[in-house]
Amino acid sequence: MSGPARVGAEDDVSRLVPDIASLQETLAAGDYLADVGLATALFLAVRLPQPILLEGEPGVGKTEAAKALALALDTPLFRLQCYEGIDAGEALYEWNYPRQMLGIRLAEVRDTHLEETDLFGPEYLLRRPLLQAIEHHGPRPAVLLLDEIDRADAEFEAFTFELLAEAAVTIPELGTVRAAHPPIVILTSNRTRDLHDALTRRCLYHWIDYPGPARIAEIVRRRVPSSAEPIALEAASAITKLRSLDLVNPPGIAEAIDWVSALTVLGVDRLDARTVDRTWGSVVKNRDDLDVAVARGADWLVGAAHG
Amino acid sequence: MGTVPGAPRFDIRQGVEAAALAVGFATALRRAGLATSPDRAARLAEALRFVPPDSRERLYWVCRVVCVSGREQLPLFEAVFSAVFDGLIDPAEYRGDRNAPPMAGSESHSAPPNAELRTRPAAPDTRPFGEVENSPKPYPPEPLHGRGDSDDRPAPERDAILMMASTDEQLHDMSFAELGPDEIAQMRFLVRQIVLCTPLRRSRRTSRSPNNRDRLDIRRTARAAQRTGGDAARLVYARRRPRPRRLVLLCDVSGSMEPFTRVFLSLLQGAVSGAEAEAFVFSTRLTRLTRQLAVRDPDQALARAAASASDWAGGTRLAESIRGFVDDFGRRGLARGAVVVVFSDGWAQDDPALVDAQMARLRRLAYRIVWVNPRKVARGYQPLVGGMAAALPYCDAFVSGHSYAAMAEVAAAIQADHTSARFNQRTR
Repeated sequence: MSGPARVGAEDDVSRLVPDIASLQETLAAGDYLADVGLATALFLAVRLPQPILLEGEPGVGKTEAAKALALALDTPLFRLQCYEGIDAGEALYEWNYPRQMLGIRLAEVRDTHLEETDLFGPEYLLRRPLLQAIEHHGPRPAVLLLDEIDRADAEFEAFTFELLAEAAVTIPELGTVRAAHPPIVILTSNRTRDLHDALTRRCLYHWIDYPGPARIAEIVRRRVPSSAEPIALEAASAITKLRSLDLVNPPGIAEAIDWVSALTVLGVDRLDARTVDRTWGSVVKNRDDLDVAVARGADWLVGAAHG
Repeated sequence: MGTVPGAPRFDIRQGVEAAALAVGFATALRRAGLATSPDRAARLAEALRFVPPDSRERLYWVCRVVCVSGREQLPLFEAVFSAVFDGLIDPAEYRGDRNAPPMAGSESHSAPPNAELRTRPAAPDTRPFGEVENSPKPYPPEPLHGRGDSDDRPAPERDAILMMASTDEQLHDMSFAELGPDEIAQMRFLVRQIVLCTPLRRSRRTSRSPNNRDRLDIRRTARAAQRTGGDAARLVYARRRPRPRRLVLLCDVSGSMEPFTRVFLSLLQGAVSGAEAEAFVFSTRLTRLTRQLAVRDPDQALARAAASASDWAGGTRLAESIRGFVDDFGRRGLARGAVVVVFSDGWAQDDPALVDAQMARLRRLAYRIVWVNPRKVARGYQPLVGGMAAALPYCDAFVSGHSYAAMAEVAAAIQADHTSARFNQRTR
């Protein structure tokens, strides 16, 4: 965050991520293949440190990037899935009212003396992702993923950002919790509304492009280790070809993985028209799209894959 | 590699300071119209400390990650980046092509180093409209008369309101297409005041309910119980708070709609600032205008809108525009459960079958679709134009909105809360 005092990441983190290439390698070791653009973006997010806003078509691995980064830094990931009407009680903290009631009752039954401060102790606090990320004790900062921030109300967006900029939460009954290791923040957005200027100004930004066939094949090979290389490459080029059609739900990386898994289970090692006809369901998941794809024909698709 | 023609402003190998590079690049971006604040330049300098820009690719990604804050800014960014850096950092990219247009750095090598920075290629559009004179747009919306400019009327705005009182009636029923420039100005003023309300939906937020058939709100009950020593003396119920549905306005600004868009844009602007609507215009392609229209000064809003949409008064590609809307915005949530209003005469270049397909997609997302076609009032009008006929079966309401009086119909159609009365007349 653009916190006043801090410039640069903590030493421990800097040692772990000395440069872009090594971050790329560490991510790859966790089975996440980042191109140089994304690696640069994540590297800067970690080292500056600065929150980063990731955008891209569905299925290009926005959420995965956060998971992979947490894995690479060997630190926990706290994920807050935003939705309309989300409020501080669901994002930050909430008192565990039923438990407090039980505490009172128990004290009555046992005839023990109960102070108010007993009821507002840490054990009665329900910690939500934001507080968890701020309270994280280290040794390295946690990764905090604010998924689909555009779905939350504008007020919530502002509140979250203010909180992260301070890296501190004040709970009236307990006092101020200050982050020992301010979290690395990753936001994703689907652009259903314009994010506030204040937010975009403070964030780094990266648009994740849809990868080419070779990279898809590489990703598929990592996710489906039992798959043969030629089939992964063929499926990847077929999917790239399918994306050139005017589909409502263009198949993405997830479909490529599904498809190759299906083909591997079926024991297919070369893609041909007959296999494609049998396995449309793993790739095209919308009836209108199926009509379009079948109209172009499996031969066209396979021809593309081989050509 | 040798030196490149021109005096390289930023040759990293000569050890230009990161700060100077960052400030220079940020300035170039700002001059080109991409908003960059000083703190961004500072951040860029900071980032360059961590990632030494030893290749074009590295430098490119660092600058892009730090300076860009939206996908739509990418083309502009790339243009500025290549103007500022290409050929200067990686001479291999230049390949000695003497016929290539001069690069940004090279034009200035006889001039003082910062000469080109003093010119202003594209100023950010914060000026009032009156100053933007030679606007290249075929149809920039005209400003309201007498916003303090030196016209022959002394207190024009007030005049307009007073005049409205007398010419009220006749103006109300006149088609927007028949209005003269002065009347258009008054009409804009009136139309902007129209309040559009959408039907309500239940939000996820709750409020206290007096009705004990509603859901028991444990959290509020527990809180209330603290006042009575932990005994829940009163149970608190919650109901989901209603919220107005999102309103999405798509306005056709093609040539055939021109007489009407002058007024419709004011309606869009009023809706964006009042009802938090999302506004788009289209003719050959779709442009999101919500942000441009969200300023309080109407003239400035329209000027900004005109500057952003480059295809005013062109042809219409209805299917393509609706597809663009559904793909880039609608499916991602903007149109889900929303009231979508399309202002168009349906005269489109595309195949009606394509319009049909795209309207079907929009139909599956939206709560209601209202179609406003000002040509509807013409005597003997039948929705026979290809695009219109194809779109009509998917609309919940079909209104004209051609005059101020007809605007009431538009407002009512937007507010109506029933999807059952689907407009189901097949005309072919």
